[in-house]
Formats: sequence, structure tokens, C-alpha cells
Amino acid sequence: MNSRVLACLALASVAAPVSAHAFLDHANPGAGAVLHVAPKSVMLAFSDDLEADSSVQIVDESGRSVAAGRTTVSANCIMAPLRALGPGKYRVVWHAVSMDDHRTQGAYEFAIRP
Amino acid sequence: MFAAMAAAPLQAHGVIGQRFFPATITTDDPFAADELAFPTVTFFDHETAVDFDYSKTILPGFAIELGMDHVNSHPPGEARERGFDNLEIAPSLEVYRNPAHEFILSTGLEWQVGGTGSRSVAERSSTYTPTVKFGKGFGDLPDGLKYLRPLAVTGTVGYAIPGGGDEPNSIEWGGAIEYSLLYLQNNVRDQGFGKFVSHLTPLVEFAFSSPTDGSGTTGTINPGVIWSGKYVQLAAEAMIPVNRASGHGTGFIAQLHFYIDDLFPHSLGRPIFGGR
Repeated sequence: MNSRVLACLALASVAAPVSAHAFLDHANPGAGAVLHVAPKSVMLAFSDDLEADSSVQIVDESGRSVAAGRTTVSANCIMAPLRALGPGKYRVVWHAVSMDDHRTQGAYEFAIRP
Repeated sequence: MFAAMAAAPLQAHGVIGQRFFPATITTDDPFAADELAFPTVTFFDHETAVDFDYSKTILPGFAIELGMDHVNSHPPGEARERGFDNLEIAPSLEVYRNPAHEFILSTGLEWQVGGTGSRSVAERSSTYTPTVKFGKGFGDLPDGLKYLRPLAVTGTVGYAIPGGGDEPNSIEWGGAIEYSLLYLQNNVRDQGFGKFVSHLTPLVEFAFSSPTDGSGTTGTINPGVIWSGKYVQLAAEAMIPVNRASGHGTGFIAQLHFYIDDLFPHSLGRPIFGGR
């Protein structure tokens, strides 16, 4: 279990006891980020705990997935490991299902520059 | 249609596609949801009103709203009048959703039930207002206009038909133009807003009444802001009359709004029939 998943669990421990729809609270990389070092993963933290069928896809400009392995859904976080990314634009598309079955979705882009 | 509604997965209140529409306070938004607005406090044109509105989903996409307000009217030089206005019953049906284009269309009927309020302030006859409402987010704008993607509009147009008396029929129309900082932060560019700021939606609402007898349009334009939390939202707006016939001076309206579907997701916050 890596440090990001641990960070997610720590956040979840202070979550409110009643369920609610899940909105994106924080993302790394965030929307519109321009990076000079390729991230090794995408981490999304939501306002509420998630069902396991929540998901994220990360694709390059040609629409190909750049995920490197299995996406982890833990408490209020989704974490997706990435392949070694080169310069370019990438799109993150997420679907969140909160514990009360409410569905939310979102998408954003980030870029890697040399 | 009802079979499809009954099988629909639950939608979070005010959500269509990637867009969250907060509940507007001067005009009705197009969503059929489990929500409670109490109180809505209005100070405008020598009148103070405290409103209660509760909306309950019967099926996914179909809700019935009950509303009542207490009015305290004190025009200069006239006797003070106070009491409850008529009960309002308003069924609302979502008829079209397009998540990709953040568009929703709904229809409804507002029935102000004559004779249910206090004699001093309420009409004795009913008024019926069939209404069409819509919401549209601009998340589908091209990259060159990406900072306009957080914009959204809602609108409502109704035809009010008084059931008696001398009141003319009228077109009741209005809407809101809103800019979601949450959308900006999560979908366009992370601005580093904190949790409080990122949940703010600055907006301008407008609500007009145009009698069909040509006696002139009246209404207000209401700039304000909504803060949307996990279970509640707070909203406050100024009320600026558009002409002398609409009122005197700038007023104020504020509302505390509860998301019943999130507060009670397994009981009161679910449709009575359908949903999963």
C-alpha cells in the first residue's frame, strides 16, 4: 500500500458518517496542470466515500489508455498508476458512485511539457 | 416512460453530466429532487416574507413540491397586513436529459390553492401556472472558450391563469446566469481555491411577470451568490426592481436549503417508487 492510498485512508477517517453525492475535492495532477516531470499516477480525492465500481480513465491525445495497471478505489479516493508518459496532453475521465448510489462524473486535461 | 423512470439509477440532485446546478432561490430550477428550502427570507418593497418549500420525489424525475409563505406587509400610509399566503402545490416532471451537453428540460404545474391562506393577504381563488423549465451548462464549449465552460443558465416560462377575480392572465418568466467555481476548479483549471471558495457560485437571477392585458412587465434582477456544501446550501441575493411599478428600493433575499437526498439517502431522500 503506497503513501497516497494511506493518505486517502487518513482523509476517509475524518469523513462525515452520513453518505452524500461524491464531488471531486482534489486531484493530482489537477485540472489544467502543466508539468515538466511526468506523474507516476493520477489520484482523485472525493467529498465522500466511493463504491468499488467508481472508475477513472486516462487517455493520450489519440485516445489510447495510458494506465499502467489496476485502478484502486479506496474510501474516498481513486488512484490509477500510469505508464511512463512523454510530452503531450492527457485527459482524465472519472465516474464516481457514492455509497448512497448517487452518480457523478467529470473530466479534465493536464499536459506534460519537455 | 414510467417503467424507464422506475429503473433509472439515482442521480445526485442538480447534477446533469459533469454539471452541478445549485438550487436557485428566486426562480424554480428544472430538477425534480428531494429538498427542503427553509427559511427563505425576503425583504422587499415594504414587505417581509418567510417561505417554506419542500419537494418530494415520487418517481425518479418526478417530484411534488409544497410551499407556503408568511407575509408581513407594511406599505407607508397603509395598515399593516400579515398572515399566510395560499398553499402552493407544484408537480414537476423531468422530460429530457442530455448529460453530454449538460441540458435538462422539465415541465410542471404550479397551483396556488385559493382560500388556504389568511384572508388578509391571500387570494380566495386559485391560480394555475403550467410551466416549462430548462437548464444548460456550457461545458461543451471548445478549448478556446474554456473559461466560459463554468457558465450555465436556467430558465422558466409559465402562463398564470387566475381562477377568478379581476386579475389578468400573465406570463411568468425568469432564470439565472451562473458561473460555477467548482466547475472551473475541477474541469477547467485548478485555481488552488480552498474548499469554501470552490463551492461558491456567483449568479444573477431575474424574475418577471408580464400581464397579458398590456399593463406592463414588472420584476427584479437579483445578483448574488450560492455556497453549496455537502448537505446544505446557503444563498443570498440583492433584489433590484426593473422599474417603478416593480417596487421601491433594493431588497434582499436569503435562503437555507437542505439536500434531503443526501441527508437521508436510504429513507426520506429516495423516490417513493423506483430508483436503485
